[in-house]
Amino acid sequence: MIQLEGIRKSFGKQQVLGGINLTVQKGEVVVILGPSGSGKTTLLRCINYLERPDQGVIQIGNQKLEGKHPGRSEIHRLRQRTAMVFQQYNLFKHKTALENVMEGLTIVRGVPRDTAAEIGIEMLEKVGLGDRLHYYPSQLSGGQQQRVGIARALALNPEVILFDEPTSALDPELVGEVLEVIRRIAEEGITMIIVTHEMGFARDVASRVVFMDGGAIIEQGTPDDIFQRPREERTRQFLRRITPEANYSI
Amino acid sequence: MSFDPSFMWTAFLSLFKALPTTLFITIISVAAGLVIGTIVALARLYRIPVLSQLASAYVTFVRGTPMLMHLLLIYFGLPIIIDGIAGLVGSSFTSASIPLLAFACIAFSITAGAYMSEVVRAGILAVDKGQIEAAHAVGMTTPQALRRIVFPQALAVSLPNLSNSVIGMLHGSTLAYTISVIEINAQAQIVAADNWKYFEAYLAAALLFWGLTVLIERMSGWLEYRLNRFQRGGAA
Repeated sequence: MIQLEGIRKSFGKQQVLGGINLTVQKGEVVVILGPSGSGKTTLLRCINYLERPDQGVIQIGNQKLEGKHPGRSEIHRLRQRTAMVFQQYNLFKHKTALENVMEGLTIVRGVPRDTAAEIGIEMLEKVGLGDRLHYYPSQLSGGQQQRVGIARALALNPEVILFDEPTSALDPELVGEVLEVIRRIAEEGITMIIVTHEMGFARDVASRVVFMDGGAIIEQGTPDDIFQRPREERTRQFLRRITPEANYSI
Repeated sequence: MSFDPSFMWTAFLSLFKALPTTLFITIISVAAGLVIGTIVALARLYRIPVLSQLASAYVTFVRGTPMLMHLLLIYFGLPIIIDGIAGLVGSSFTSASIPLLAFACIAFSITAGAYMSEVVRAGILAVDKGQIEAAHAVGMTTPQALRRIVFPQALAVSLPNLSNSVIGMLHGSTLAYTISVIEINAQAQIVAADNWKYFEAYLAAALLFWGLTVLIERMSGWLEYRLNRFQRGGAA
């Protein structure tokens, strides 16, 4: 279980998060939507302390971190409970697909190399890259790189996987293969928090949708609640802009 | 006085006696310089209080003064310090027992450290910030992330600059002759003076340095090819 309480964050004078409270149950797939600049990526990055919140409490499982300056080892332990899939993939460029997946296992978890390789191969097969084990990121397409990124996150068997706009940097024809992989692992009951702009995907995969604007959570609910019966005007505006109705005639 | 090509060979053979000294000074100062440079670069990049200011002062002073000056300052200054300390603690150690070669190595390590810190800093800055974030996200500590992820990539991009530094230190090592270390340049002077054939001896020394430099260029080219394998793209 993940619990965020009163998370505040400012960059200079610009307040990005204005006291966010959010609870995510085990096995939930929470999709965070919102216009750009609404703070959704910052919120996600606060969960594993890639961004330090100015204030607030982050709890994952039985570990609790508070405010801006928790101890280095506390942050380190928190990060070991999470994994992240980045917008720009951020695969280790000098390592092959398999080495990318193994790295966290051998270096952080102390898993022996051959066990790590077995897990790595299994995870890469799961994302459909069993034939690309020894390719460097520069030899893979964006979609393939992102699937390696997902395999790298999965291999760590974390309590939650954080997805930061996993398809935003992809060519349109490659988006589908990545969403398909995420959809498949969502069905396995892994807890996920996903920031995305893919509305159809959000609707499909989410057990809960959270709508953010101006550094605050405006409303949350099931995909049907948010997409069919949004209560807040700002949510409606956003959905209108993102899914334009056919208000033209041919 | 006429040009005597056959003497060049004689000179060449005698220069080989000094080759190990030149290589020793170069390798030690480059290796130590790389260590110093890395520490200095990290201190500055991570803005470690006190250490980063000291590091900046070190870099600007050393880069702002000639390499010959570093050698002379160490050669004349270090004995004062060492003998002073020895006197204070009542030790019988005197600076006279320190080989001249050591002064050259210490001085040139200090020189190399300052120049290489900039090479290392540029290399680290060239690595995408997302790489260290990804390393943190899989649970690595910062030292692990630096060692496993950042340094290998930084090394690959800084190789051309590093090989420049190595060549610079190789050529700079000739200054050691001013404190009577017999490296290639000093040896050339000796053979030249013995036989009154200066041009031939120095030409032989120049060719030897050129050969060494080409060797360094080749090695660095080969390393660059190997270390950048991952960036070439295309099919595996």
